[in-house]
Amino acid sequence: MEKVLVMLRKAPYGSVYTAEAFRTIMGIAVFEMDICVVFIDDGVYSLVKDQNPKKLDMKPLGDGFPMLKEFNVNRFVVHDESLSERGLTVDDLVLDVELANSSQVSETVKNYGRVLPF
Amino acid sequence: MKIGVMILEGPYQHQAVDSAYYFIQAAIARGHEIVGVFLYTDGVNNINKFINPPGERNISKRLSELGESGIDIVACTACSKFRGLRPDLKVEHVRQSGLGSLAEFLRAADRFVSFGD
Repeated sequence: MEKVLVMLRKAPYGSVYTAEAFRTIMGIAVFEMDICVVFIDDGVYSLVKDQNPKKLDMKPLGDGFPMLKEFNVNRFVVHDESLSERGLTVDDLVLDVELANSSQVSETVKNYGRVLPF
Repeated sequence: MKIGVMILEGPYQHQAVDSAYYFIQAAIARGHEIVGVFLYTDGVNNINKFINPPGERNISKRLSELGESGIDIVACTACSKFRGLRPDLKVEHVRQSGLGSLAEFLRAADRFVSFGD
């Protein structure tokens, strides 16, 4: 099974990247790939509970991620420093994640080889 | 080596598509194979046939030439719809297709390289 790592680096609103990363994960998951999703820098905000972008006329993006398990996307890695720098903990997130430090993230990227950064 | 490419930014505003173009040429010159180029989000704007920069490099023409040389260049259909890039507005030797093409390129590639912000 081909391994693909999708990396979310940006805040969920203000640009299209998080929404497109989500669409990409859905789009390639149906082809039965081994997908790992990594949240780093402002990308960790994508998983925060109770997002409400109504005033931006957008749909909340966080709610979609737990649903990805139904598409056999099971590996969610969060960069621990990015999370703590923003005053967040795993309790603030919409799903259970694997915490990783910088060198573990680097190792994961190396291990997956094919990387789609957003 | 088999290499897949994704471009996430449009023409002229950002260097991404230019870097990708030179990367592809250099890779081919070294004997690598480009399994496909996927134009995603604003990247789809790079194949507009009405791009006409006086006295400057023509990005859509460059991509069309790469396509003519046999490289599969695919612009995301949904992103094209969002940006009003109708099929009749695209240059020759490129095509529009869905995320399935990205999945195909990912499968065929030993390495996958993205150009964007």
